[in-house]
Amino acid sequence: MPAAQSAKKVPTYCYNCVSGPDLMTVKVVDGVATEVEPNFAAADVHPARGRVCVKAYGLVQKTYNPHRVLQPMKRTNPRKGRDEDPGFVPVSWDEALDMLAAKLAAVRAQGMLDEAGLPRVAATFGHGGTPANYMGTFPAFLAAWGPIDYSFGSGQGVKCVHSEHLYGEFWHRAFTVAADTPLADYIIAMGANVEVTGGPCAVTRHADARVRGYKRVQVEPHLSVTGGCSAEWVPIRPKTDPAFMFALIHVLVCEHRLDELDVPFLRDRTSAPYLVGPDGLYLRDPATGKPLVWDEASNRAIPFDTPGARPALTGSHPVAGAVSVDADDARTEFAETVGTPAHGKLVEHIRRYSPEWAEKVCDVPAKTIRRIANEYLAAARIGATIEIEGRTLPLRPVAVTLGKSVNNGWGAYECCWARTVLAVLVGALEVPGGTLGTTVRLNRPHDNRHASVVAGEDGFMAQKLNATDKAHWAATPTGRNIHKTLVPIVGDSAWAQALGPTQLAWMFQRERPEDWSMPAPSLPEVWFVYRSNPAISFWDTRQLADTIARFPYTVAFAYTVDETNWMADLLLPEATDLESLQLIRVGGTKFMEQFWEHRGVVLRQPAVAPQGDTRDFTWISTELARRTGLLEAYNRALNKGTAGVSPLSGEGYDFSLDPAVPHPVDEVWDAVCKAATTTLSGGRETRDLAWFRENGFYTVPMSKLDWYLTPTLEDRGLRYELPYQERLLRIGRELGNRLHETGMHWWDRQLSEYAALPEWHDDPARWEEAVARAGADPRDFPLWLLATKSMQYHTGGNAGIALMREVAQNVRGHAGVIMNTRTAEGLGIADGDPVEIRSHIGATYGKAVLAQGVRPDTLVIMGQFDHWAMPFAKDLGLPSLNTVAPMSIELTDATGSGADIVRVAVRRMPDARPGARP
Amino acid sequence: MTRYAMVIDLRRCVGCQTCTAACKNANATPPGVQWRRVLDLETGEFPDVRRSFLPVSCMHCDAPPCEEVCPTTATKKRADGLVTIDYDICIGCANCVMACPFDARSIVHEARFAYGDTPIPSEAVRFDPARVSVANKCSFCKDRIDRAAETGQVPGRDPEVTPACVNACISGAMSFGDLDDAESNVARLLRDTEHFRLHEDLGTQPRVHYVWDGKGR
Repeated sequence: MPAAQSAKKVPTYCYNCVSGPDLMTVKVVDGVATEVEPNFAAADVHPARGRVCVKAYGLVQKTYNPHRVLQPMKRTNPRKGRDEDPGFVPVSWDEALDMLAAKLAAVRAQGMLDEAGLPRVAATFGHGGTPANYMGTFPAFLAAWGPIDYSFGSGQGVKCVHSEHLYGEFWHRAFTVAADTPLADYIIAMGANVEVTGGPCAVTRHADARVRGYKRVQVEPHLSVTGGCSAEWVPIRPKTDPAFMFALIHVLVCEHRLDELDVPFLRDRTSAPYLVGPDGLYLRDPATGKPLVWDEASNRAIPFDTPGARPALTGSHPVAGAVSVDADDARTEFAETVGTPAHGKLVEHIRRYSPEWAEKVCDVPAKTIRRIANEYLAAARIGATIEIEGRTLPLRPVAVTLGKSVNNGWGAYECCWARTVLAVLVGALEVPGGTLGTTVRLNRPHDNRHASVVAGEDGFMAQKLNATDKAHWAATPTGRNIHKTLVPIVGDSAWAQALGPTQLAWMFQRERPEDWSMPAPSLPEVWFVYRSNPAISFWDTRQLADTIARFPYTVAFAYTVDETNWMADLLLPEATDLESLQLIRVGGTKFMEQFWEHRGVVLRQPAVAPQGDTRDFTWISTELARRTGLLEAYNRALNKGTAGVSPLSGEGYDFSLDPAVPHPVDEVWDAVCKAATTTLSGGRETRDLAWFRENGFYTVPMSKLDWYLTPTLEDRGLRYELPYQERLLRIGRELGNRLHETGMHWWDRQLSEYAALPEWHDDPARWEEAVARAGADPRDFPLWLLATKSMQYHTGGNAGIALMREVAQNVRGHAGVIMNTRTAEGLGIADGDPVEIRSHIGATYGKAVLAQGVRPDTLVIMGQFDHWAMPFAKDLGLPSLNTVAPMSIELTDATGSGADIVRVAVRRMPDARPGARP
Repeated sequence: MTRYAMVIDLRRCVGCQTCTAACKNANATPPGVQWRRVLDLETGEFPDVRRSFLPVSCMHCDAPPCEEVCPTTATKKRADGLVTIDYDICIGCANCVMACPFDARSIVHEARFAYGDTPIPSEAVRFDPARVSVANKCSFCKDRIDRAAETGQVPGRDPEVTPACVNACISGAMSFGDLDDAESNVARLLRDTEHFRLHEDLGTQPRVHYVWDGKGR
């Protein structure tokens, strides 16, 4: 190897998936990035000791990929479509930005909203908010612009843990939910593939836990990497997870005495004692409207917050003079009635769901289910305590975690509810060892979920739900996925729209239900897309690409040509991961298992000069603001902290930027660095950009008590809204009233999900019914097809990176579709044979990968492929579930989510050429 | 005396291939050449199936069959335990490739690059024609270990002189160090855990040890 003239290591971060950011360094030899390494300087503050996962090691090739778009390009072919060559030709940055600014000015001149009341500009950013960590100051431009429609998802709702986001935040401020792995002794993982998707922090924590001797039971249809690393694999039938968990609850509440559960937790920290009346609603005090409990001390019903009360959790109790409040404030008065504590209602409700019942549904022996439930209860160590930073807290070292597809679509509400109820029954919610939330995104502030815990009605946390009452309901959609109208629980904060039913935005562009009575959704006049390829990463991708082709003006911040920007009018290539500058938050607690004992900021900086004529996103944003006449608003947004981290001025400091003039990239981030360190240190220290270039990151210690929410609820005298979902029942009824008043019944199936105590619906049958309703014969599609994630590719936007392709081949499934060996034999399929996987909407092609570790009725595809435009990726010949999964209202749940699963048939292809199409 | 060894804790490994990728980054190996990788293994029949991950590489055996069959003495066993290849002497005869029971060696006879015939800058700056048509394999990141003698740092403790795979391993499965240093990570692990080596029956005495729980997971 030739001797290097110069070599240096540049500290930076990787945030290519939601499990980041993680810290790393880039070795630069003679001005060329050659090697990624951990940032060992962060070993004492980063939970994974400064390590990054395998994806980060592909960033060197990502930088020098010869297929990169290296200068702005404009489309010359006015026709758009998969079969239309876009005819991209190079243009200068001046020309590109002037074209875009003129387009935006013309749009703005017409007004921000169009005739349908929808924003004329839409934007789609990829995975879980991570693009914001690479787009420099673009958020300030978006803020300066005004209304933007984030409705068009790139897989949100179907590829994430969607229902957990919504219900998790509702119940315990948990945008995602994790085990307190460092203290956990027993984890039931319902398809949660945390060793693949949890990043280095999760992998480190679980590795430590395995060595310590914890037990993880992996319940999933195929033996994932996480299953391989678990003590036990339970191969459950797809989409029957609610039944399995209902049976676990059954064992706990029907086969054990009440005093074997965490009675103090149930009594004092949940709604378990609230009395439910004959109409299924809380019995309330007529004067105050407060829910009543049965006080065992005085033998009477009293408001839940009466000092000195000793509320009952079971039994039926006479109540005189109570009211219930239903949807639209409909009050019912009860002179004499009987109330049952919510816990008692739960016991009655769950009695029918025994392990023997679940065995038939889940294809899991009843004795296995019962054993797991009993192991869980025993491991909970009810009564145990632990001292953390001087405060004595319960120690409940058990957790239940949920994976994608368990957490999406029909059955997901039931699963989220059951998981959280399993935690509260043993007092394991938000306490050491138990089931924890990570952070908030629907509530605020994003960097402190404890601050979002504010007293609301009925002794619970206040919730910011979308209104369903007649006066305030959003009868006219404010975005193309109609999240504010249809999904009360998602709220209307900055993240809410992107977490709405994003598949509906795509579906409603093509067709709408017959009794649709709202304005028809319009096409966005300008669509921005960045780090996102929905034409590959959503469902029914062929149709979706056709929809994208109808968008009149698409601007893509482009790395290479891909299946989405194939339809773009303008490609703007930004300086990417190792070439550009940005400061972001790091530390605290966040998904998937980033639980730090520090919080701070970390710099991403140019390790090498940008390739070609790619430009730093902050430069692009500033220029766009200047050319659209939004410079002052843009700078003011920067001063407010919109680019992230901290406002640029505050008490005792002022690093704000002059709003009247454009600022160089370094000057902007120098101000952000100074403001961030000043606020983090409480004014003790101020570090500038030069300091960060050298040192990379800045952190301050945080209290480990911040990992746990229950102490905060205790301090504020609040209860978790579990197990009984009276509020959800009411708002579901209200939403139904509103929709029916406008003549719409197409959401009625979803309205049935609003239940106070979820019931088992035959969820697998819903998929067979959907096939039949589409005019096909379900018997022709006898297998389940699931998609599973790959650490090598998961949200990395790196399907075109050769190194990832090479190392991923070492992990089972990256060569094609995984199928059970016995099933394959029956179909005459051998390992490596080319196969067709066909659903009722189309087919995808790849090679058979035979395995024992998958149910005979299930096929599994890794990642998201089937590219046809992206260089390198288009030659991989890999199948994709997304090609054959339909978008369908009937398979959409009440949160707007769909499960990543489809009924298929598989057959050996007569043509043995890899990737051949018939 | 120094006796370098690697200890891999199979209880921790998740088969993520971060070590594989880090090795390729650090050693600039061409496409298709992996000095180390993690095997993804399955045993049993549905539903009683076990999936296991096994990182493999050159085992730096104390009795290396590759050394024995090398006609030019390019392959040597060093006193500190590393099995090395002198590319200037190797004639690429592949005897060693055939002799290695661990499938740890590679020979490529033409320059290969990630994206076709032209190296990308990160490949060009490190392309070494001396590596073409000679045997190559995991060196335990020999250059780093040799640097320790100059810097006074300790391989396995100080990242700058520790193999790239060990540094990169996100689960902390991999340890490296001196077996003759009782306080080294590797000595401690071998003292405190159950462990084995691959193909003990062949008598090559590998320097890569695997920690397990004695019953699988």
